[in-house]
Amino acid sequence: MSLNLQRYPLAEAYDELVDKDHVPRPAARVLLEYLQTLGDEQLQARRAAVDAAIVTMGITFTIYSDGENIDRAWPFDPIPRIMTGTEWRRIERGLKQRLTALNLFIDDVYNAQRVVRDKVFPAEVLASSRNFRKECTGVTPRFGVWAHICGTDLVRDRDGAVYVLEDNLRVPSGVSYMLENRLLMKSFLPELFEACPILPIDAYTAQLYDMLAALSPRQDERPVIAILTPGVYNSAYFEHSYLAQQMGADLVEGADLVVGVDDCVYTKTIDGLRRVDVIYRRVDDDFLDPDTFRPDSVLGVRGLMRAWRRGKVGIANAPGVGVADDKVVYTFVPRLIRYYLGEDPIIPNVPSYLCMNDAEREYVLANLDKLVVKPANESGGYGMLIGPQASPLERARCAERVRADPRNYMAQPTLALSTAPTLVGDGWAPRHLDLRPFVLQSSEICVTTGGLTRVAMREGSLVVNSSQGGGSKDTWIVEGKD
Amino acid sequence: MLSRVAENLYWMARYLERAEGTARLINATSRVLLDLPRGALFGWDVLVRIVGHDRVFDEAYSAHDEGNIMRFLVADLGNPSSILSCIQAARENSRRLRDVLPRACWEHINAMYLKALADVTGRSDRNGMLEELIMRRQGIDGLLSECMSHDIAYQFIRLGEHLERADMTTRIVDIHAAVLVPRQQVPEDPTVALLWVGVLRSLSAFQMYRRHGNVHVTSAGVVNFLAKDAHFPRSVRYCLDKLESHLSELPHNATSLRALRRTQRRIDGMNLDSLSPALRHEYLDAVQSDLAHIHDEVAQGYFHYCEQQSGPLRAEAA
Repeated sequence: MSLNLQRYPLAEAYDELVDKDHVPRPAARVLLEYLQTLGDEQLQARRAAVDAAIVTMGITFTIYSDGENIDRAWPFDPIPRIMTGTEWRRIERGLKQRLTALNLFIDDVYNAQRVVRDKVFPAEVLASSRNFRKECTGVTPRFGVWAHICGTDLVRDRDGAVYVLEDNLRVPSGVSYMLENRLLMKSFLPELFEACPILPIDAYTAQLYDMLAALSPRQDERPVIAILTPGVYNSAYFEHSYLAQQMGADLVEGADLVVGVDDCVYTKTIDGLRRVDVIYRRVDDDFLDPDTFRPDSVLGVRGLMRAWRRGKVGIANAPGVGVADDKVVYTFVPRLIRYYLGEDPIIPNVPSYLCMNDAEREYVLANLDKLVVKPANESGGYGMLIGPQASPLERARCAERVRADPRNYMAQPTLALSTAPTLVGDGWAPRHLDLRPFVLQSSEICVTTGGLTRVAMREGSLVVNSSQGGGSKDTWIVEGKD
Repeated sequence: MLSRVAENLYWMARYLERAEGTARLINATSRVLLDLPRGALFGWDVLVRIVGHDRVFDEAYSAHDEGNIMRFLVADLGNPSSILSCIQAARENSRRLRDVLPRACWEHINAMYLKALADVTGRSDRNGMLEELIMRRQGIDGLLSECMSHDIAYQFIRLGEHLERADMTTRIVDIHAAVLVPRQQVPEDPTVALLWVGVLRSLSAFQMYRRHGNVHVTSAGVVNFLAKDAHFPRSVRYCLDKLESHLSELPHNATSLRALRRTQRRIDGMNLDSLSPALRHEYLDAVQSDLAHIHDEVAQGYFHYCEQQSGPLRAEAA
């Protein structure tokens, strides 16, 4: 294995590290030149060291399903994705702008619904929203913030422009992998951390703690924070336990919590009940409280919604937040930014067609072979049609579904997601990727430095979701010349 | 400390200890059997009785032969106390404890589990595998002792471990006594001495018995040593003393400590020198139910503590 820039097989898409003349982009120059100086033996040895570390982490990332143990290693590619500080700061502003507007929107739809009265957001879309929770109306959480943690997926198209692909507001995961990737990276290329001004990313867990602590109803005491997990069988359990460990929070399951007649939430400890001030929940709304939502849920806590509505406990993200995590609502976000903030969106949406509008639906149905069609409420890439790769039968079935329930579908042109050099076989090749930064908001708003870069490991594939075989890279924000 | 976490820690430790105890028992017994005179009745089925699952065994197997009994004790998931079942249960408990235990602990338990999955049949392979499991278990013990804060979580691990160990020691002593009753009328028959050596070996106690107890292996000597010695880590007395010091670190421990002290008094008051094997069996039975009682007090006092308290919960029930 040795790496040579001249032999790097550039694809048609925009490459994050290499321009079309096979010249390194300025921020990537030090990295690419260094990689090319590594001899075959060096590269192999380092790759082996990283693989060994991943085996250890493979145990760490164990997934349990159907009674079988799948020790799945988190697929990691050791060539980082690099972005300049200048570009990043613009994106950071755009992400803050977006989440601020989304939170104003959520607070509005559960209270005055000004946005509907002013005809900026259609009443019928709200009425048919599967994730609008009437139980949340009339509540104003602290700071008016509902979505405290947002994972926003960004993509770069062939023209080099960055777009927002979707906002994950319910229980976005991946931040622990972002942090672990940096540790792996430091063992693969320790020299470059001295040679390059790479911005650190480890402030995240402290920021998460501060954000959660600000939600405590008892601000004069050190808050008790708990992470509510669905349990060991959840694929993100590693992350739940990792974050609990990093923040010194309790990792709890539904059965560990109880709501008293005083409407406070308690954990059951060996020394009696202990009041909990803030719950970072990694359980979906549906399962949160069997008294309010699904009565058969064993993952939740009876009375939790009552405690939250009465302000006795902070919950992040707030129940009902999913109303804004909907691919149809997504298409309205640029309008919501203008409406609530009076600003132009800093990061554009991917152009989208709403199937609920007759003209747009007809366009979508006539161009299914060119478009990506997405259902409003699925995540993880489920239920999606990638038109150019679909069979005529799959397209016909999709057309039926769209006609039957147009409100539930939207479509976007197929983007040529950008690529970056990725180690494959005995060399490197371009693979498509996206970027998921995490945005935190309560008393303040902040963004991870970079985020989790997800990469489609198969040649030509555009699907980066880890549930569908995607891998990941470390993400470097590098200061200096652009 | 969450009650559930305390319970997970306690059971993880009990299961690991039980797996190690069973591995020791099998290895020591295998060695003893080699020395038995031809035609001796002592056989593999004794082991099934020691672990207390003879009924489960009889339902699943017809013959009490070495192959069946070994499968039952080592790798049968239908036997809740088989080595594989115990390691699997310890692994499931520790999976939920990653934020509490040192990171490497999970990896060690996982490695034990993968080892225990291996299909071994011959005596020598089996012996090697069991020795390795014991060593790995001891590695985990060292890791916990040296790399984990000796905090509340740690106390629950040691509680589970010493309660299980005390129980295992009474079982091993008890069953050998029981087996010998009908068959051997002369108490100091050389075959009997051989069996007591097996008992000592299974608890890694032979060397220390000779050093601190008696060069001659007699039933009274062995039983006294394993029940009452204050310094040997597998004696019942030692385990009870450890339980006392770990319980002392916990809040509202009065009832658990009371149950413990009753057991200590019982052990202290036993005259084991000239007991008939039947009476000895009765005594050890009483110690076993004492241990079960300590477990109940710990479970009530810590794992289900909130259910019994007044306050916000009680008011809701009313």
